[in-house]
Amino acid sequence: MSAKNKPKDNIENVQEKLQSIKGREGIIGYILRGPNSASIDLKDPTKIIDYAVLSATALKAGQDMSAMFEIGEVDTILLEGEGAKVLSTMVNNHRLSIFMEKNIDHNKLCKDLNLT
Amino acid sequence: MNKNQYAVALKNALTEIKKTCPDVSRSFIFTQDGAIVAGDLESDEKTTEKMIQSFQSVAEKADTIGGLKAFYVNGKKGKVILSSVNDMYLALAASKNADTTYLHSVTRVIIPTVMKLLETITPTPLQFAPSKQLVVDTLSGFFVGDSVQIDMEILEEWSKLLNQKSVDRVEIEAFGGKAAQCKVKEINDAKLKGKGMIRIPEKVCNTLEVKKGELVKVKPAST
Repeated sequence: MSAKNKPKDNIENVQEKLQSIKGREGIIGYILRGPNSASIDLKDPTKIIDYAVLSATALKAGQDMSAMFEIGEVDTILLEGEGAKVLSTMVNNHRLSIFMEKNIDHNKLCKDLNLT
Repeated sequence: MNKNQYAVALKNALTEIKKTCPDVSRSFIFTQDGAIVAGDLESDEKTTEKMIQSFQSVAEKADTIGGLKAFYVNGKKGKVILSSVNDMYLALAASKNADTTYLHSVTRVIIPTVMKLLETITPTPLQFAPSKQLVVDTLSGFFVGDSVQIDMEILEEWSKLLNQKSVDRVEIEAFGGKAAQCKVKEINDAKLKGKGMIRIPEKVCNTLEVKKGELVKVKPAST
């Protein structure tokens, strides 16, 4: 899994950017989970566990598939559902998952968050 | 079209896709319950099964996003795409520089079209028509023609099974291995009806190397 070579305040930058995008139309929320803490902001708090489990499972599956198919360190993982999608990645040692409606341009989101 | 033919057709489609896009390193198709339907030669079974298990673990937890339709993993050296195709999933592994537009057209257009086409091909009913073992009776004389005769009930049974108006030709296989196709009619001798017999002209008996009283295998001929 890719650890971005960015300054130490990288996570703080990402957190700031997450705050700025969370109000955008179509953004359902995000989970940023570090070794000792987690920032969670979801429009529907009753689904926190569901989203957290999906996010963790997707990141694990992505890593497994990367090893199986020898595609190198994982940059991003994207899950598309019938009505929503999830973009997951690693930022330093933090696992980030952003949940959004299906029509949202996730590539633009990556650029906005400096994830690419 | 039976399952084997379906799998071979899909496998050929995957092979052709790989030929046109060499950046695709592996590809296979599997069902929602994890059964592999078709895969290219590069996809070894163990890796494939592990990957399916990983994917299923995600799919089981994807109700919150309305079920898993597609899963993309972008790595430093390549990418993996899993995409829902009808009621199955297509998995593709490709190099980093693979044309994303092409990959999307494969997962969203080409394979679904191939699958739809395969599913609409009329099944070959003859594979389901049961053969019958019948006792040979020889037909001789000037006016016997070249048709064999069997019970009307058998012909009607085959017609019904094959959803055909009638069965006009049959394939006869002798136990010695000789085979022949002939026109078929109903047995015209009332005394021989309903006795599990096939009346075969002498000339055809010679071709099949069978004699009166021997058993032969009979089934509707392929059209």
